Amino acid sequence: MGPLTMSGLTLAIAAFGCALGIGFLAGKGLEAMGRQPEASGSIRTAMLVAIAFIEAIALYALVIEILILYK
Amino acid sequence: MDILHHFKYPSMFDLQLFGVDISVNKAILTLWIAAFCVLALILIASRKPKFVPGFFQNLIEVSIDFIKNEMLFDMPENQKNAWIPFLLALFGLIFICNIISLVPGAAAVTASLNFTGTLAVIVFITSQIFSIKTHGVRGYFGSFVPRDIPPFILPLLVPIEVITRLARPFSLAIRLFANIFAGHTIILVFFSLAIMLKSYFTGMIPLLGSVLISAFEIFIGFIQAFIFTYLSAMYITEAVGEH
Repeated sequence: MGPLTMSGLTLAIAAFGCALGIGFLAGKGLEAMGRQPEASGSIRTAMLVAIAFIEAIALYALVIEILILYK
Repeated sequence: MDILHHFKYPSMFDLQLFGVDISVNKAILTLWIAAFCVLALILIASRKPKFVPGFFQNLIEVSIDFIKNEMLFDMPENQKNAWIPFLLALFGLIFICNIISLVPGAAAVTASLNFTGTLAVIVFITSQIFSIKTHGVRGYFGSFVPRDIPPFILPLLVPIEVITRLARPFSLAIRLFANIFAGHTIILVFFSLAIMLKSYFTGMIPLLGSVLISAFEIFIGFIQAFIFTYLSAMYITEAVGEH
């Protein structure tokens, strides 16, 4: 269970949670855009902001992985 | 299998200023070129403005309208115009830096935590100083306490608010850095896969993959610049507005 395995596992678990979260979010967002197409501009903007937040969490795991591998 | 050395640039021209090393390397040159491109874009857009706008003028006008109406929508009306140049320059610099880094031979400026950390610290210091300027020092310390809460959970809530406020520049910097760094690393991995295959024919397939990833990187560069500017506008609005 050396640093290589652990760092890969870190990013894998983080990416799994992130993909689940973004999948839920995008599903709900697209459903809301289908219900009320006039509001799709602001729904799209808010959805993109939320996707960037969740993606950032998966990328924190990437930074930690690089720190583990190269220190 | 060291991939990090692609992101370290040796200095081309050593300079020293009062003992601080400000030598010029490829990343600094790329940053100057990007800043010059942003300046040239704005100057082209504002030369001889017509009532029916041409392409560049329309581009900048749409950006300004978007920043004014969507990003700064909670701010009091008389302060919106003052923040537009700052946010437009921030968005333009980050977007042009992301795009220029995809040109072969150019340095990836945003893929270094130094640059993104500097931008995040600039936004943080600006928002805190203007919060103190608008509400005074008492109001600044009072902004950590949200309204309408029962007072017995205050010792739990105020440290959470302080930590949230302090973690924001970190998250801004790391979000931008990690997105662009990961994109460039994937492109490098595709290139090294093409070299490892040692054949001209099957080596075309990873190159096709790297072209697709570069196209995706253009989109990601735009989204990350937009997200950085949008979150900076949100933090500034929250710092300056009434609560």
